[in-house]
Amino acid sequence: MLILGIETATQQVSVAIGGHEGVLAMFEVSRGRRHAETLVPAIEFVCRQADVQIAEFGAIAVDIGPGLFTGMRVGLAAGKAMAQALRVPMIGISSLDLLSFPLRHADRTIAAVIDARKGEVFYAFYRPVPGGVQRVTEPCVGSVDDLVADLIARGQNVVCVGDGALRYRDDIASGVNCDFAEQFVSYPSAAPLVQLAHARALREDWVNPWEIQPMYLRAPDAQINWSTREGSA
Amino acid sequence: MMVNDATLVLGIETSCDETAAALVMGGYDVVSSAVSTQVDLHAQFGGVVPEIAGRAHLDLLNPMIARAIVEAGVTDDRIDAVACTVGPGLVGALLVGVSAAKALALTWDVPFIGVNHMEAHLYAAFLEDPTLEFPLVVMLVSGGHTMLIEMQGHGQYRLLGQTIDDAAGEAFDKVARFLGLGYPGGPAIDREAVDGDPEAIKFPRAMLHEGLDFSFSGLKTSVMNYVRKHPDVSAADVAASFQAAVVDVLVQKAQRAARQVGARGLVLGGGVAANSLLREEFLSACTQSGIRGFLPSRAMCTDNAAMIAAAGWHRLQSDGPTGLDAGAYPNLRLSFNP
Ligand SMILES: [Zn+2]
Repeated sequence: MLILGIETATQQVSVAIGGHEGVLAMFEVSRGRRHAETLVPAIEFVCRQADVQIAEFGAIAVDIGPGLFTGMRVGLAAGKAMAQALRVPMIGISSLDLLSFPLRHADRTIAAVIDARKGEVFYAFYRPVPGGVQRVTEPCVGSVDDLVADLIARGQNVVCVGDGALRYRDDIASGVNCDFAEQFVSYPSAAPLVQLAHARALREDWVNPWEIQPMYLRAPDAQINWSTREGSA
Repeated sequence: MMVNDATLVLGIETSCDETAAALVMGGYDVVSSAVSTQVDLHAQFGGVVPEIAGRAHLDLLNPMIARAIVEAGVTDDRIDAVACTVGPGLVGALLVGVSAAKALALTWDVPFIGVNHMEAHLYAAFLEDPTLEFPLVVMLVSGGHTMLIEMQGHGQYRLLGQTIDDAAGEAFDKVARFLGLGYPGGPAIDREAVDGDPEAIKFPRAMLHEGLDFSFSGLKTSVMNYVRKHPDVSAADVAASFQAAVVDVLVQKAQRAARQVGARGLVLGGGVAANSLLREEFLSACTQSGIRGFLPSRAMCTDNAAMIAAAGWHRLQSDGPTGLDAGAYPNLRLSFNP
């Protein structure tokens, strides 16, 4: 089965096509135009280059967050619309799972940390297990100090990965002794997304497009923004 | 592609607090129209909260699209194009519709059409009366806009006048909030005014005899000053007198605009066009002046996706499809002829 993977939860836009042989095609850009402008042309591009017809997809996989709300919704809205039109199921995977999976060969605890803006980070801890990683804490949102306290409480050497770890590297390193993953794995990618989704698809562990739920972890900012409302009719 | 009477366009609207999808054939024939309003989600905040709107659009859009298609009794492969509001509006809300619409266009391999929400409001009237003739004057009154526009032809507009401060709908919201009547202000004032005397208080009619621009900020201030000075005044009288002042100015300016350009018709549009007194006065002024007046139904005045599909059909015919690299344009303006 061919799976389309869509990833827009951080500042990166990532699209991949996966099958039982693994990742067949992939497009990724982490700067430049905004998510909504890049995503659909990127899907069109990878399909054309990989010689895949959109009707061939048997499932749509999407990063459900946590991450930047507006960006996440671009990927979710596009993925849900495609799945509905194709009448295929969806597989939602957390951005934190996607960050930790490429570090599955590390022989220690992994902290996946995503920049939540406003001085906060989304994070969860994982431990390597044969063939992958296992999440050992619930994804949460907190200050960098909260993260450092949790890292200290783990009491072991941890490797931190993600754009949150990158941004607050100095603050984290001054509070606790830990390692940091390479910069090029700092954003969740659609490559692990289609790999993880394929394993779930084999178990038919999927949902209907109207059932997929984003993982926001933070309540909406109920500040009425009258200035942006001016533009609406 | 050939754009003709049989071209079926799926319209999508997510610019503010309505999630909507509709199918329109040939630019004029509404085959189905599904609208889900989020008013209740925002009421406790007294205004639209952008992040709440974005979340709700993501939940509601798929069911609205499914409903529009099921109610039309067509299969997906019958849909010839997908049109969606790209602006103006709340960026996080617009992006949900734009992303979904482009993904559908790619999946079905049909054209995508980015639609200006304001232009779509101008097209709402054509859905109910395709015999309207140009030149046409449209008065667009909503929470964000108060404008008099001359439509010289499809896609050809001239701005005749607009508000220099608050939009009419904004004045309704602010006065309703001040009087403790709740949100949204338009319907709240409308209800309260039923029991009031519109002549109880003589509120100012700003710029009534000057040109075609509007100003509502002074009126809002004088309502507040009056209520502070007369704390025992009946809210119904204030609501009725305030509403009468707004409607008076809107109706007289619309008539002046129509006379000035020799319009063959005068049309009301936008959310405030659902106001009962405005509808009544607008029509009676048209009867008196002999100008052909047209009032779209309340459902067509407020945000809906049928008007998006209709405007999209005309856009597709005149300009062709929009690229899939389009984004959302929160401050998009109508382009006016020089
Ligand atoms: Zn509107």
